[in-house]
Amino acid sequence: MAPLTDEQRLVRDSVREFADAEVAPLAAQIDIEHRPPLETVPKLAELGLLGMIVPAEYGGSGTDTLSYIIAIEELARACATTAVMVEAHTSLATWPILAFGTAQQRDRWLPALATGEKLGAFALTEPGAGTDAGAVATTAVREGEEYVLNGQKVFITGGGYAEVFIVIARTSHEGAPHKGLSAFIVERDTPGFTVGEGERKLGIRASSTPPLMFSDVRIPAGALLGNEGDGFKIAMATLDGGRTGIAAQAVGIAQGALEASIAYAKQRVQFGKPIGAQQAIQWMLADMSTDIEAGRQLTYLAAGLEDSGEPFGEAAARAKLFCGQMASRVTGMAIQIHGGNGYTEAYPVERAYRDAKITEIYEGTNEVQRMIIAKSLLR
Amino acid sequence: MKIVVAYKWAADPQEATVAADGQVDFSRAKSAVSDYDAVAITVARHLGDTHGADVVGLTVGGPEVATGLATKAALSRGLDALMVVADPALTAAGSTGTAQALATALAGVDDIAVLITGDSSVDVGAKLVPAVVGGLLGWPVLTEVTAVAIEPGALVVERAVSGGTEQLRIDGPAVLAVATDAATVKAPGMKDVLAAAKKPVQQLPADPVVADGTLRSTARLSGPARRGIQISTDDPAAAAAELVSALRADGVLIGGQQ
Ligand SMILES: Cc1cc2nc3c(=O)[nH]c(=O)nc-3n(C[C@H](O)[C@H](O)[C@H](O)COP(=O)(O)OP(=O)(O)OC[C@H]3O[C@@H](n4cnc5c(N)ncnc54)[C@H](O)[C@@H]3O)c2cc1C
Repeated sequence: MAPLTDEQRLVRDSVREFADAEVAPLAAQIDIEHRPPLETVPKLAELGLLGMIVPAEYGGSGTDTLSYIIAIEELARACATTAVMVEAHTSLATWPILAFGTAQQRDRWLPALATGEKLGAFALTEPGAGTDAGAVATTAVREGEEYVLNGQKVFITGGGYAEVFIVIARTSHEGAPHKGLSAFIVERDTPGFTVGEGERKLGIRASSTPPLMFSDVRIPAGALLGNEGDGFKIAMATLDGGRTGIAAQAVGIAQGALEASIAYAKQRVQFGKPIGAQQAIQWMLADMSTDIEAGRQLTYLAAGLEDSGEPFGEAAARAKLFCGQMASRVTGMAIQIHGGNGYTEAYPVERAYRDAKITEIYEGTNEVQRMIIAKSLLR
Repeated sequence: MKIVVAYKWAADPQEATVAADGQVDFSRAKSAVSDYDAVAITVARHLGDTHGADVVGLTVGGPEVATGLATKAALSRGLDALMVVADPALTAAGSTGTAQALATALAGVDDIAVLITGDSSVDVGAKLVPAVVGGLLGWPVLTEVTAVAIEPGALVVERAVSGGTEQLRIDGPAVLAVATDAATVKAPGMKDVLAAAKKPVQQLPADPVVADGTLRSTARLSGPARRGIQISTDDPAAAAAELVSALRADGVLIGGQQ
């Protein structure tokens, strides 16, 4: 990896300064309350964090992908929920419009999304379609100049507050199932579209993850993203980029846990000296930092490939596979270093341990990442 | 009309480590725009926006102050342009040498309405530089400044004084050291970070540096740093009373109610 540019280093400094001041102080409380930190949204917008990858002509910050990834990492170091709020809005909702939208769709949606006036979400998963994304059963039937949506989605990050949804629905039952899917841009206030109660979860508890219900939801034909039948391709391309974002979230969670562990190891005294003086603790810290740095490099490599226009899907899968497991390992060790205190809500590593697990599941489970990597190896 | 802000690119003491023998090690501390100077830049930016004036940064120091990272970090905080005096001889410059270098740089700039500085630098904290710069240039110097406005030919300055504030009208240009809480500093936005590379940076030559003395030795303080006060907590009520009277004696607690 080339060293970071001045701009990338300054993005890190700025987001860290912001996260320490505005994000970290809320993290424990919103987790206890299972409440998305919506009061932070205008501040994220003011800093330009809600439109980082959007070109300046649409009101975005126009940074490279790696800068965006560094920002997600820094937000996650303070609060995994805030990080995934920004990540889902950016990678899963804004990016597909940027990449696949018509000029009209870009003009209409990107300025509102980039400035945080509206937040976005991505709705692929259904009760019967998780890893098997091609099994989506929600239908979109063309009627004149409209499509009519019927069906249900589950586990939609940001569903509780997002106003713009990328919805994957079936437009054809002919041929291979995944070829009959299409992507749509759906507005929250469309009649027939309802949002259920958010799930109560193990980790990222403050993140909103409700089901969505579509009952004869009529949307204009112009809401189709790409062409009919492109839905699976759009969803997979979207998740390729999203995976680098989740890898960055995992790196940030682990980094926060490492820093908390270093501070604790210096301060906790047993047997007359700080526990950090024990080689057992030193080795754990060394392993944690090595694990994190390896994950960070895999993540930055995937982002760098995307920035240079090269294929990056396999690299993103490797980064996510490694970083998800790494974050679970590292946060587990962080609890070990904290002993009994680490098992309580009074210390941030307890939350980090719970938050880490989701990075092995969403935007493709570990098993899916292995499938992607192996498919490419055996091509 | 220009508003100039002097800032220091300084190692962050929060990242310094203190060894068992009391020696402070800054070698691994990252440098940044000194905390209180970021307050000064924020005040200057606001003043520049109010009066349509250019806000120009000025820093002096060793070669590290002229790196892309250092200059962009300062520019991203809201400066329009930057003047940099970078010279190895300035690396270890003390307050007098630094002030001299700043004054020399300022003497070559016309149309300055005001020089704004931070309260003190985060690493040294001597609070001397604004006064020495003002003295060298023959400009009035005010400290603890909480607000500034520019009027034709004059500056209206509000400053914190013991128990309240005062407003002064002075002829410009002047040196104003802003109070640590004169403005709330916000992290630079993403667009500001990207725009920094496009802003002008002018490198100025350094004059011979005035020496402030060279360090011979440092000694560790024993006991509390202030006045050797130690309060026993055997009797908590008596300890609390003693703490209150010590704080009152230091001027931390003020007003009636003994
Ligand atoms: C907090 C949270 C937020 C989410 N946010 C979103 C969102 O914003 N938008 C969205 O669309 N979805 C979202 N999801 C859904 C998420 O992407 C899915 O949960 C995930 O893809 C796994 O699908 P599943 O839960 O149906 O598990 P399943 O697909 O049922 O998998 C169960 C297990 O079987 C394994 N498995 C399944 N198939 C295979 C196979 N062929 N080979 C080997 N192993 C296999 C899986 O790896 C897993 O271990 C979110 C989920 C959560 C929990």
